[in-house]
This record gives sequence, C-alpha cells and structure tokens, in this order.
Amino acid sequence: MINFEEELKKFHPSLEVEQAEDAIYNQDLTDMADLLVKMIKEAQKQDVE
Amino acid sequence: MLCYQCGAQLSEQDYCTSCGADVAMYKKILYASNQLYNDGLEKARVRDLSGAVISLRQSLKFYKKNIEARNLLGLVYFEMGEVVSALSEWVLSKNLRPKKNMAGNYIDIVQSSAGRLETINQTIKKYNQAYYYCTQGSKDLAIIQLKKVLSMNPKFLRAHQLLALLYMDGEQWERAQKELKKCLEIDRNNTIALGYLQEVEQALFPEDGAKAPAKRKKDDSVRYQSDNEIIIQPLNVKEPKKGNVASFLNILIGVVIGLAAMYFLVVPGITAQVRNEANRKVTEIGNQLDTKTAAIEELERQMKSLEDDKTYLQQELEGYVGPNGTMDMIDSFLEMVSNYLDSGDVEQAASDLEAFAEAVDVTQTSQALQQLYQSVLTAIGPEMGKICYDAGVEALKDKLYEEAVGNLSKAVTYDPSNVEALYQLGNAYRESGDTANAIAAYERLVEEFPDSNRVRRAQRYIDDLSEE
Repeated sequence: MINFEEELKKFHPSLEVEQAEDAIYNQDLTDMADLLVKMIKEAQKQDVE
Repeated sequence: MLCYQCGAQLSEQDYCTSCGADVAMYKKILYASNQLYNDGLEKARVRDLSGAVISLRQSLKFYKKNIEARNLLGLVYFEMGEVVSALSEWVLSKNLRPKKNMAGNYIDIVQSSAGRLETINQTIKKYNQAYYYCTQGSKDLAIIQLKKVLSMNPKFLRAHQLLALLYMDGEQWERAQKELKKCLEIDRNNTIALGYLQEVEQALFPEDGAKAPAKRKKDDSVRYQSDNEIIIQPLNVKEPKKGNVASFLNILIGVVIGLAAMYFLVVPGITAQVRNEANRKVTEIGNQLDTKTAAIEELERQMKSLEDDKTYLQQELEGYVGPNGTMDMIDSFLEMVSNYLDSGDVEQAASDLEAFAEAVDVTQTSQALQQLYQSVLTAIGPEMGKICYDAGVEALKDKLYEEAVGNLSKAVTYDPSNVEALYQLGNAYRESGDTANAIAAYERLVEEFPDSNRVRRAQRYIDDLSEE
C-alpha cells in the first residue's frame, strides 16, 4: 500500500528559471575521463620521483 | 576523439601518435560513454525517458564532453517538463562546445519568446506551490494547483505523478489511473508511475477479477478558501457529449425560455407601467372634472341666486310700479287727498283713506307720505269720528253688535280723544260677549282718561267681567 508521506519524500521542488545559473555553477562536472587523466598524471609524477 | 594530453586526433592505436601518451583506458572510457549515449538514444526513441536519462547521465559521468549525450539529455528533460534542467544541460553543452552545437538553437527557441519563458517559470512556481501545499496537508489546494500547472504544461511529468499520488491518497482511483496513463504516455518506463499504477489497478480490480471501481469515500468536490470565500469546485464533472440535434434543441429551449422570461417578467412590468400611467391620467382628468363640476355648480348656484334676486326685484318693481302697486296707491292717495280738498266729502275721504291703509303699510312709506296721511287723518278725524260714533251707538241700540263694534272702532281710530266712543266700544264688546276686548277697551279708557266720569263704571265692568 502506498504511503503518501513516504512517497511525497521522493518529490522535491523544481528549479525555477532564476535558480538555473546557480544549478549550472554548482553542478559537479567531474567525469571518469578526468579521474583517469588525474590518475595517469599522478602515476607519471611518481615514476619521475 | 582527441588526446587528453596534447589534443591531437587519436588513431586506432592505444597510444597517441603525437605525444605517445597511453590512451587505451581513455579510449575505453569514451567508448563506454558513447555506448551509454547510444543506449539513451534508443530508450529516448521508444519514449523510455527515465531510462534514457539514466543512460545519458551515466554517459556524461564517463565523459562530460559528450555533447550529443548532453544535448539529448536536455531534450529528454524538456520533454519531461523539466525545462530548467534542460536549459542547464544546453548551457553547459554550449559552454563546452561554443560552435557547431545544437544546444544554441535549443536555447534560442526557448528564450526567443519572453512570454513563453515566463509561462514556463509560472508553471514551475505553481508546481512548487502545489508541492508545499502537499507538505502542509492542503491536498485539495494542491490538486487545484496541479491542474492549473498541467493545463499550462501538459508534459510536466512530476506534476502528473504528484497529482496521481494525491488522487490515490484520496482513493480517487480512476482519476489516479488517468493521470498515471498520461505519465506513461510521456515516459513509458517511468518507475514511479508504474508502481503507482500497479497500486491503482489493485484497488480498481480486486483479486476476483471483477471490474468494479473502488467506491469513493470522499466528496466529488474540492473545497478551498480564497480570501473570505469558500470555493467549491466539482471534480469529475464532464459536460455530456451531445449531437448537433441536441445542441439545436438546447438553443431552441434557451430561446423559448428567454421569450417566456420576457413574456412573464418584462411584459407584465411594461403593462403595469402603462396601466399605472393610464390610471394616473384618469385620476388627473377626474380631478380636473371635479374641479370644473364644482365651478359649474358654483356658477349655477350664483345664477340661481341672481335669478332669485331678479325675481325678487321684479316683484318689488311690480309692487311699486305695477297695478295696485305702491306708486299706484300713492297716486290714488294723492288723488283722494285732492278730491277731499276739492269736495270736502269727509265720508268719501275716510273710505279712500281706509282703502289706502288696507292696501299699503303706511309705516313703510316715505316720511312725507306718512305726514300727509296723518294730516288728512287729523283733518277728517273728529268729524269722521262723530259720524262713526253715531252710527255705532245706533247699531248698539238695535243690538247689531258687530256693526256697532266696527263703527265704534273707527270712531276711536279717527278721534282718539273721544272717551265716549271708547266707552261705547267696550259696551259693544261686552254686549256681544267678547269679554277680552271689552276689558281691553275699558282698561284703555281707565288708563288714558283717568279723569273721565266713565272711569268708575268702566272699572266696575272690568271687575265684573274679570270675575266671570
């Protein structure tokens, strides 16, 4: 049986147009490619040391 | 595909032909990103939007610069009604690749009309308001607000879901089912919608398979307060579908009702107004008639009065100038006086004088005439008195009492100083049996001639007659 209160927790307010800029700036854009490049660069640095 | 270190175009080799960097793992990551993009695209094509979102977001987690995946994610968000999320993705995409990027076109389309962007923003604000109503327990208001949201943006998936949830909470299963089907028309594999729909179908179709809709426990109306007014908005009320004939009949009935209302409401008012105006005029005319009637009556009364006056004056005039009138009698009197002066006939003069006195009230005549009358009377009085006295005494001896009374009365009249005439008059009355006049004559004698030798006898007669 659906519990309204519990289900309601799954919903959240939608972003308004004025909040779009903040949403863009606050978005975490780190991806797997970034992590890989970072790991490779760190590995290369350790090899040099 | 470019080298992460030098930016050169990569070949099929696992290293960069330009800088020699190991790109095997890097290539695998990009391949994975592309694979997830393809998966998202396939899902989007079959309107599995939530699945597409997951795939595309994963794709971007592998490689954030996958512009196609980001642009598609924006499109999917836009299709789900998440306009701000869509704009965010497109702005990021445009930022990552400023040129030759479809995201710019998408942004331009959305922002080209200020009204459209404002409508989108209003839709979002109303959805948020509905969400806060839900959290505060104002579910009816939330339903109304969500209906407004969906009328402005029918593809707003989360609004459909929330509305369905509210209907389910109100056990309005059919409405919830309808909303959930709309959700699934937008997003076929929406997990939340599918879960809710399963719940709804269990409520609508119990285990025995009978397709009996669940009984509604709540009212079919939504009540909410706006300022000081309680607004009751009926739910689930549909206008019955009618054909052209029914529409025509409805119009015809409306026209008939309108005409009937005109006949029963407006016409009586006009009729009453006309009737009142007519009554007012009749009253006014009646008042004028009464006034004129009163004036006519007054004039008639005056005319009658004048007629009476005229008749009276004519009679008066007749009395003066007519036959036997005053003027005629005066002429006769003057003629009588003239004859008396010429002939000296006392008896004729007396006769004429008596006739004049009978015909005319001497006291009402002029002063000069009265003086002339008295002069004549004085002139003929003593002689006439003696004549009458003699005739009266003779008649008394002959016991002709009536004649005696007449002559003796004249004698007293012509000569008031004749005591004997007055005494004999009393005797004539006494003898004739007229006691009252007899006493009056004797008393006059006693009073006017107290020294007369007839007083004693007159007094004795008075006493005798009084005792009788």
